[in-house]
Amino acid sequence: MAQAAATIRAALDPGLDFTAAQSLHRQLKRFRAASPPAGEPLRIALLSSFTMAQFAALFELYLFGAGIDASIYMPDYGTLRQEVLDPGSRIYAEQPTTVIVATGWRDLTQVPTAGQSAAQVQQMIAAEVAEWATLWKTLHDRLGCQVVQNNFDAPPWRTLGNHEAREGGGLAGHIARVNLALQDAAPPYVTVHDLDHLSASHGRWTWGDERYFHLAKIPCAPECQVDYAHSMASLIAAQRGRSKKCLVLDLDNTLWGGVIGDDGLGGIRLGQGDAEGEAFLAVQRYAKGLRARGVVLAVCSKNDHAIAREVFDRHPDMILRYEDISCFVANWNDKASNLRLIARALNIGLDALVFVDDNPAERLLVRQFVPEVAVPELPADPADYVRALDRHRYFQTVGLTAEDYRRADFYRANVARAQAETSAAGLDQFLQSLRMTARVGPINELSLDRSTQLINKSNQFNLTTRRYSSAEVLALTQDPSWITLTVSLTDRFGDNGLISVLLARLQGEVLEIDTWLMSCRVLKRGVEHLALHLLCERATARGCERIRGTYVPTAKNALVAAHYPSLGFRAVGEAAGAGRTCWELALEGRVALQFRIEVRHDE
Amino acid sequence: MTNEIHGRLQSVLREVFDDPELTVADATTADQIDGWDSLMHVNIIIAVEQRFRVKFAAAEIAGLKDKGQNIGTFKQALAKKLATR
Repeated sequence: MAQAAATIRAALDPGLDFTAAQSLHRQLKRFRAASPPAGEPLRIALLSSFTMAQFAALFELYLFGAGIDASIYMPDYGTLRQEVLDPGSRIYAEQPTTVIVATGWRDLTQVPTAGQSAAQVQQMIAAEVAEWATLWKTLHDRLGCQVVQNNFDAPPWRTLGNHEAREGGGLAGHIARVNLALQDAAPPYVTVHDLDHLSASHGRWTWGDERYFHLAKIPCAPECQVDYAHSMASLIAAQRGRSKKCLVLDLDNTLWGGVIGDDGLGGIRLGQGDAEGEAFLAVQRYAKGLRARGVVLAVCSKNDHAIAREVFDRHPDMILRYEDISCFVANWNDKASNLRLIARALNIGLDALVFVDDNPAERLLVRQFVPEVAVPELPADPADYVRALDRHRYFQTVGLTAEDYRRADFYRANVARAQAETSAAGLDQFLQSLRMTARVGPINELSLDRSTQLINKSNQFNLTTRRYSSAEVLALTQDPSWITLTVSLTDRFGDNGLISVLLARLQGEVLEIDTWLMSCRVLKRGVEHLALHLLCERATARGCERIRGTYVPTAKNALVAAHYPSLGFRAVGEAAGAGRTCWELALEGRVALQFRIEVRHDE
Repeated sequence: MTNEIHGRLQSVLREVFDDPELTVADATTADQIDGWDSLMHVNIIIAVEQRFRVKFAAAEIAGLKDKGQNIGTFKQALAKKLATR
């Protein structure tokens, strides 16, 4: 059975042929009929004024590819607004946690005509955005759900020709301005799906195949629905913390042309003035761009370490520098073992890695021995590498935080800390030498995005692995029976950003810890002790006598199996569910925990 | 030519209906095939357009499922498209 799921996942590709994708979806249906998902499926409502039955099947397929089982509710055709506005409609009984508003340009309620004044057109833009914002707010107020809203795809034809973009009444320019306004108006619980970019990337005349719209109200050219579904699924995957985290790069013929061990520094092809050399520059520039927004870069190459590194240090045309690479592995071991080594060194799962290698034999080996790692096919021409990688949307994101922009520096600073650790005599002395300062406080509007991001992607130091949308987290912060706590940490090597989140619920004299997670970047620094200390203070202030915690084992959180006993909690028996353990700490007479961290309070 | 078209069309139908045993004759109509509803019709045309590299007009697509149409008339329409390609 696991084999059937692996076969379906292995065949999935955003470029699948429409009919082949439908066959795969039928395979998925058969598989799920025989082997239903273990957990509760993700409840999604798909609202549209188009025929979305074909899309929905493909969407379900790609969600499965991203490890998400979904149950999709679609109301009757053409009832988008009624469904949202009528409090008695079925969507409110279905209780979806995500609602997709799959609009296209035909859903525009305000369409200007040439010659209308700039002021009139401005009013129309505001009215258009207000229209959709009302639907978002209604959905969110009634369901507390996340919303994914398409922006508007500009049609391929232009009645005003080139002037269409400039003229206030031109449709293309109007759509561009509405899309910008829509993006600006979207609250944290709304993600705008860039349908207009999707349409442009396929070519507007290809995307806008009118025949099937006229015939069956299908939203775009039928074969484009495949990639449309992949794009939408990648957003849901990103919200659920299932995007990839690390790009692992081969070197020879992947980052430069030729073999450094044979051709030498002067012989490899990289740099301006040579078509192949420029193509490899483009690959490096793309990787550097990913790094700048928080994707971790690693190298996995069959090479002599010193020879491989010399290219990064000495080749004048290299865009990627040695400091850009968080884990540099060049040796003669097999790549499957090296990828395991990289995942361990970076403290991330194998399923967070994307491995890029021009050599088909290496790709085959990795797919076979570490199937968790994503391995895109690469074409023969390096000029097509960026496209071959980008089209998979591996690193999809629904928002970037300050932590993302600085992530590469965190990892580099970790290397420096590891070196300091080996030179400091004792652990306590080492921790003191770090000169750590923590900023602590409840989750507020400034920390909501980052907290939600951590809640949805922390796997290892995570006691219960409960995932919450930003809408749900926001609701908790406003509920007086919940205590939320965040910890941000700075040390002499730099700012680690917000690294720990705790959510706890008051239940009479007991404070029940619902969620306790921490970034693995700050393991063994005393942050757990600090967090418990803060939680005890709050519990005492609210009149509690005990704190209760649960450990829910997953494939990835063995690290914290002994978390509660190590903090002095005592076992109160097995909780419901396989392997779950339940722990309590009496607040009176507890032993104070040590930490070498200065604390500053945010409120 | 028509024999070749028949074989290829039948294999497209097998793929779309997910039924490797499906056989059709010239007289077979859409009504006689389980699941050939209007959405499935669109799936069939999309697959035929892809596999045969032809393009039907919106009105032709709708017309292929009208009363009096069958696999035989579908093949004729397809042969005409292939001839003028």
